Amino acid sequence: MDNMQKYIQTLAPKAQFEEGGQYLTTTIEPDALRKVATGLKEKGFDYLMCLTGMDYKESLGVIYHISSSNPKEKETVIVLKTSTTNREEPAIPTVSDIWEIATYYEREAYDFYGIIFVNHPDMRRLFLREDWVGFPFRKDYVVNDEINPVPTKVPDPDDYEAVPSYSLNKEGKLVKKTKSLFENKDYIVNIGPQHPSTHGVLHLRTKLEGEIIKHIDPHFGYIHRGIEKMCESMTYPQMLYLTERLDYLCGTMNRHGLCMCIEKAAGIEVPARAQYIRTIFDELTRIASHLIGWACMCNDMGSITAFIYGMRDREKIMDIYEETAGGRLMVNYYVVGGVAQDIHPNFVNRVKEFIPYMRKMIEEYHTLFTHNPIAAGRMKDCGFLTKEQAVALGVTGPSGRASGWSCDVRKIAPYAAYDKVKFDEMLHQGGGTFDRYMIRLEEIEQSLRIIEQLIDNIPEGDCRAKVPAIIKLPAGEYYQRVENARGDFGVYINSTGDKNPYRVKFRSPCLSLVTALDPMCTEQKIADLIMISGSLDYVIPCIDR
Amino acid sequence: MLELDKLVTLIHSTLADAIDIEWLVKLIEYVLIGVGFLALYAVLALILILLERKICAYFQCRLGPTRVGPWGLIQPIADMVKILLKEIIKIDKTDWILFKVAPFIVIMGSFCTFGALQFGKGICGVDFNVGLFYMIAISSLGVIGILLAGWASNNKYTLIGAMRSGAQLVSYELSAGIALLTMVVLSGSLQLSEIIEGQAKAWYIFQAPLPAFIAFIIYLIAGHAETNRGPFDLPEAESELTAGYHTEYSGIQFGFFYLAEYLNMFIIAGIATMVFLGGYQPFQINAEWAEGFNNIMAYIPTWAWFFGKVFGLILLSLWVRWTFPRLRIDQLLKLEWKILMPISLLNLLLMSVWVLIF
Amino acid sequence: MIKYIKDLVSGSWALLKGMRITMINFWRPKVTEQYPENRETKLQNMCERFRGELVMEHNEKNEHKCTGCGICQMNCPNHTIKIVTRQETTEDGKTKKVLDKYMYDLGSCTFCGLCTQVCPQKAISWKPNFEHAVFRRSQLEKQLNQPGSKMAEKKVAAPAAAPKKEGETGDKKVQ
Repeated sequence: MDNMQKYIQTLAPKAQFEEGGQYLTTTIEPDALRKVATGLKEKGFDYLMCLTGMDYKESLGVIYHISSSNPKEKETVIVLKTSTTNREEPAIPTVSDIWEIATYYEREAYDFYGIIFVNHPDMRRLFLREDWVGFPFRKDYVVNDEINPVPTKVPDPDDYEAVPSYSLNKEGKLVKKTKSLFENKDYIVNIGPQHPSTHGVLHLRTKLEGEIIKHIDPHFGYIHRGIEKMCESMTYPQMLYLTERLDYLCGTMNRHGLCMCIEKAAGIEVPARAQYIRTIFDELTRIASHLIGWACMCNDMGSITAFIYGMRDREKIMDIYEETAGGRLMVNYYVVGGVAQDIHPNFVNRVKEFIPYMRKMIEEYHTLFTHNPIAAGRMKDCGFLTKEQAVALGVTGPSGRASGWSCDVRKIAPYAAYDKVKFDEMLHQGGGTFDRYMIRLEEIEQSLRIIEQLIDNIPEGDCRAKVPAIIKLPAGEYYQRVENARGDFGVYINSTGDKNPYRVKFRSPCLSLVTALDPMCTEQKIADLIMISGSLDYVIPCIDR
Repeated sequence: MLELDKLVTLIHSTLADAIDIEWLVKLIEYVLIGVGFLALYAVLALILILLERKICAYFQCRLGPTRVGPWGLIQPIADMVKILLKEIIKIDKTDWILFKVAPFIVIMGSFCTFGALQFGKGICGVDFNVGLFYMIAISSLGVIGILLAGWASNNKYTLIGAMRSGAQLVSYELSAGIALLTMVVLSGSLQLSEIIEGQAKAWYIFQAPLPAFIAFIIYLIAGHAETNRGPFDLPEAESELTAGYHTEYSGIQFGFFYLAEYLNMFIIAGIATMVFLGGYQPFQINAEWAEGFNNIMAYIPTWAWFFGKVFGLILLSLWVRWTFPRLRIDQLLKLEWKILMPISLLNLLLMSVWVLIF
Repeated sequence: MIKYIKDLVSGSWALLKGMRITMINFWRPKVTEQYPENRETKLQNMCERFRGELVMEHNEKNEHKCTGCGICQMNCPNHTIKIVTRQETTEDGKTKKVLDKYMYDLGSCTFCGLCTQVCPQKAISWKPNFEHAVFRRSQLEKQLNQPGSKMAEKKVAAPAAAPKKEGETGDKKVQ
């Protein structure tokens, strides 16, 4: 890490380093950003984990969490910060050509803070409507329904198909250029926002030639609730319930991430019993989520029977949740410092009954669907994503591992009880749809294996640590990663020492998955698009937040 | 016993006795037959809808409809009432005439085929000397309706659905036709009643076990594909094209597509029954010792044989439909042109040789 | 050619095996819940921890434990709970804040459970009731304290400031 510090110093002499932070944190001038970013990419920091817009009141800034796809040490993360004091026309150079996923992350920062990324090819808003006035995450934003009334008319297509981009002219002034997303002769099919197979309210503007897809432009924001903004006005325990409304299929894992972030910041030691229970619950959720993923993918391919079987078996996990935690989808079980209540006396037995049942069912799934020549034939020859593309787009989780990228946070930075159990990180090299399909079923087996090792060894003791009545995090920045069923879920908290956070950012693994649709589906058929999106298994509320 | 042909002759003689004018008797009879077929068509659709919903539910570990009537028996009637009451939505910028005509073409194609089925001994609408040919020809009319529906709706999804449907039907019509042609080689006639009479001793599938069985399987696959159901539901493909060619239809116009889809399933099963499984002929064992058994079999009325076999085949089709995922368009065409077509051509050759030798 | 036939046979065999699975499931017991018919057993077998609806327990003397401290109201992320208190003069001349109305809006409740976790008196709890369907939104706004009820006299009176102290169980301390 020290030599990285020296390296950055040579690239940007004015860089300031923060002491005692979680990661190596550097503040640099916007002018030096591209130089440092290119340098870091050359040194192997090819995975832009998270890009967070910030309003420091006197300036607007961006925070980059950069990691490596092949970490030599356990976890290598470098945090870059840059800011500009110009609030009227804040301009920061783009890094979208260095890390591809920044194309979307920067659009989000523009949407929320109005930060213009110079030379970014596509400076549209990401979540809000094109005719939205103001930038809602700025601290001086006024909530007023006269400025932004509930829209009653459909915007003009020319309006939302206009793609602006900004560049600097010789005098250093911003120049805006606009081009159109599609040409008049293009045959565009709108898949979504109301479509059976977009897994939520996603809108894919798909350019077709016959049945062959030429280009996909994802359009987000139909279920944008401003969860990050809501968090800024809530206390830490209140925030917790919102995490389960992000990716509702892996609610416990998201909540685990936020809990751990708060616990780490407040210095709360979580009892071992709670750690074990959390791990078991995380893995149960992973099974449930992968079951849904499998079932929905089968449904997308027209096998409704397989869909019902998946849902039927997931129901058993829901019952286990209900008995212990009192909730089924919104489990609401983890709290800061542990879990809300001890496990139900039946819990251990029910989980033990479930494990052999699930193994038997996986055999059935394989016979019913995996070995079916129609299904296998459809899956095996399309939807390829290379490892390089996966890293550039930040496609983590099962989809990333199917491309051969070893990106399991449970292995890279073990948390809870993951360092005490043996399990394999499933890796496939092909990167095709069939690999992504198989990896889910294999991960269910690994999850069963983890649960099997833990379920008999839950240590006695408290399941909840003592926490102060009002949680105040010390001023500073905190970042926590967890592996949820779709990939690397990150929580960023910026605290000023108050009982409310100053800024919260959730790193959604699903956004990367949707952005990967365009490179994967080009030159494929519509039927493949549906199947590939099923194999990516994204959840839209997690993207839109 | 319980044979319906006596009923038919009874009605005819009563009418002929009561009215002297021959053309009037004929007219009344035509109307009666027409109404009877329409009623049968609708009732069969209701039964098939309920059957499908129940069977599909049982395959999926569910119970299916249970609320309307005992065991959900009145559910399809409730469905039909609902469909009849629904508003027919007129969409802007559609080709309104074609849009209206399309469902009628679909249902007409299906109904004309239905009329030529032999439901029992002496129960059928028409018995052409080229009956089988007529059925193949007229049942392909439906695809015109589907194409029109897709085109006239002014919707990109429906258009893609219609085009898929066109490609699919044109391809599968071929191997279905060749499979039937194989059997015509064996029977030596195109007239349906003659084909069925030829199976009085043993069904064709037993008369020429190997080629007839292959033709039977090919016909089932191709016929299943022609009904746009099961793994071949690409024109509808609800997870891809929302509802395919009938996305924009509502009310009774949608109901026509719905009816025709179910009845096509029945018709395909009916043709397969008539050509391969002996139609209304009972199961007979051609041996001395089995005379008692043969008599018992012959005691069961012919229409019961026909419907029993047809529903057996429909169950098979439902089983297939609720097990397999949907094919992709290239797989679909590959299956037809690379597997079914060559095999059915070879099979035609095999059958000809078989007929020459035996 | 041999591969063609081999693929054909193995493919058909795999398809048949798939059909076998659906046929096995055809005869398995069905998982559908016949709800209004099994209502009695369903209600009896509800998990006791299920968060169905917030209730305030009353004893046989129509007494509850709520002091009207308002901590639950403060903690609720959705402003689902509204507490109306009134001043009452006790026999020894002290004025005391007592609960007048405990309003709970089921329609906006997210069932996060913070209110029951922070309640110092354990006056409110969850009831595993899932039959929430009503015809008007206003019917979802419920008054949890029964009419005419009052606070139960406790031997150890817990003052409203209890949550600020370090309590015995973890539940009290999270806010």
